Amino acid sequence: MPPSEPVLVATGVARRFAYRRVLADVSLAVSPGQALLLVGPNGAGKTTLLRVLAGLLRASAGHVDRRAPLGMVAHDSMLYPALSARENLRFFARLHGVNGRGRVDALLEQVGMTQRADDRVGTFSRGMLQRVAIARALVHEPGLLLLDEPLSGLDDAASRTLAALLGALRDRGTAMIIVSHQLELLRDVGTHIVRLADGRLGPVEPLAGRDPVEVFARQMQGMG
Amino acid sequence: MRELTRAAWHIAVKDLAIEWRTKTAFASGLVFAVLVLAVLFFSRDPTAVSSQDIAPGAIWVTFTFASMLGLNRAFLLEREQRALDGILLTPIPRTAVFWGKFVANLAFVGAIQAVSLPLFVLFYDVPIWARLPELVLVIVMATVAFVAVGTLLSAMVVRTRYAELMLPLLLLPFLVPPLVSGVQVTARLLEGRPLSDLSGWLRLIAGFDLAFVTLAASLFHVVLDE
Amino acid sequence: MTTRDRARRIGRAGMAVTLLGLAGLAGVYVRALVYTPVERSQGAAQKIFYVHVPAAWSALVAIAVTGLLSILYLWLKDRRIDLAAAASAEVGVAFATIMLTTGPIWGKPIWGTWWTWDARLTSTLFLFLLFVGYLVLRGVITDPGIRGRFSAVIGIMGLVLVPFIHLTVYLFRTLHPAPIVLKPSAPSLPGVMLVTLMSSLGVFTVLYVGFMMQRYALGLLRELREEELAGAAG
Repeated sequence: MPPSEPVLVATGVARRFAYRRVLADVSLAVSPGQALLLVGPNGAGKTTLLRVLAGLLRASAGHVDRRAPLGMVAHDSMLYPALSARENLRFFARLHGVNGRGRVDALLEQVGMTQRADDRVGTFSRGMLQRVAIARALVHEPGLLLLDEPLSGLDDAASRTLAALLGALRDRGTAMIIVSHQLELLRDVGTHIVRLADGRLGPVEPLAGRDPVEVFARQMQGMG
Repeated sequence: MRELTRAAWHIAVKDLAIEWRTKTAFASGLVFAVLVLAVLFFSRDPTAVSSQDIAPGAIWVTFTFASMLGLNRAFLLEREQRALDGILLTPIPRTAVFWGKFVANLAFVGAIQAVSLPLFVLFYDVPIWARLPELVLVIVMATVAFVAVGTLLSAMVVRTRYAELMLPLLLLPFLVPPLVSGVQVTARLLEGRPLSDLSGWLRLIAGFDLAFVTLAASLFHVVLDE
Repeated sequence: MTTRDRARRIGRAGMAVTLLGLAGLAGVYVRALVYTPVERSQGAAQKIFYVHVPAAWSALVAIAVTGLLSILYLWLKDRRIDLAAAASAEVGVAFATIMLTTGPIWGKPIWGTWWTWDARLTSTLFLFLLFVGYLVLRGVITDPGIRGRFSAVIGIMGLVLVPFIHLTVYLFRTLHPAPIVLKPSAPSLPGVMLVTLMSSLGVFTVLYVGFMMQRYALGLLRELREEELAGAAG
């Protein structure tokens, strides 16, 4: 399937913090239906890159061109512990200009949280928090999803469910960039893989059905 | 403009809903108010200082500290799970966050003031009822001043170390004009002076409000950037 | 010429200006102590006036400069503007301290108390607190970009605050007249004293400029050093 117009284009992005260069000359593009796995050692700048792409951080240099609405799932759930799952989703839906209880109910259903919808989010386990966070990220039907370690803290069953959800979203045309250490679990999700080390991005490799773990290992060997 | 108002409204309602759920800040504010009013009342020499003399100072110190408690809470609740990031990922204009927080803070402080004022009358036996409308006017005007500057500053310091120390330190010089005006006008009102006598102070607070609400709203986006 | 060289040049020029200012200050001292008549009601203590008032003036100049540079910084985003604003704030806090210490020293023999809520002293006290807040804020923020932007916000708000503080204290004083009427304002001074005061004001302005240049140069060199260290660490 030929890739259509990219939903996000980053050109020469750099980011400094407290005099340190955290990102240098990062350029990439993602198109609908592509799931880019972003890998690399700790401290490489992956979280920072995601935040710059999301627009939460300003790039010190370079440019990020966002051509579709985006949603983000990060380490913190971006939810209010004192409010219920439903109230949280309703709040963010309103800010996005998305109306109707129907949407919120459908999302809760999609992530399997209908039963606990009216419980305070502060009482939730990590897995449940993550599910509501994904619902929050999807509330406005974004064309691009940015996910920072979405599977961390989830048990096998939850991980598999989430991976399946991401696969389904990708098939429907959502683009995504996923930072993760758990490549085996994202085997059926990722379409491309790229490595960030010391603030610099390596070449983007299409997976084309290969095991991301293998490709990554080979990349590491090639560099070592 | 309508988008701004609607977004600000949603944020304000959300803040107040959260506060209503937990009530911790409100409860501390009330306890604090009672403490301050009581301590100031009982610590004076009743033969030398009448309760009327000390009353304006007492009520305004109470209001100021209640405002600070409210301000601290406002951005702290956004930090827990980085919910503010969630808000920044939506298409709402960033000033909406300022206005929403500003309105929520005003409501919070207003609630504490509404409860403190009767307590104040109880303790200090001052004739506020005759001058209530004018008193409310000056209280609202001065509170708008504290809360506008405080909302901006609390957003700024919440991210720094020693946030609880930084807020009062930075806020103090900005409290001087509204606080002094508030105390002076309250004192004169309780003495029975007409509002026309106090035009100097009132114009001062009005000017301050205009200048600083505008400034705080315009500079707010700088404080949201990382 | 590298930025570092340029910074060093400014520092040296600043040193020269400061030395000029200090020489001028010595001249003012001589003039004030020897050639200016002793004030009738206050005696010799009044001569602190020639240091006290110009110090207050310099502190005000400092906040105006910090405020204006803050606006400029938010517009142009050049870190050198931020460094200059910070330099002005530090110099300002020094001059405010001078004013706040000479005030009581002057006041004690005349008023009998160390502190009084005199209009100008009170205003300068809050100006001092504003500077301190600004500098403490800078101290707790590590990233220069965030530090510059946040400082600029305080700088601009501080500048707008100053006239309001003056107004507040003025209104307060007119309702509560001071027990002793002290008028340290220029117009009612006899010619000789006025000249001494004016010279002192000029000298203090020169000192402000000299200190500013040196502090700015130091700030710039420090910033360059931080960058170097961070770069070396990778």
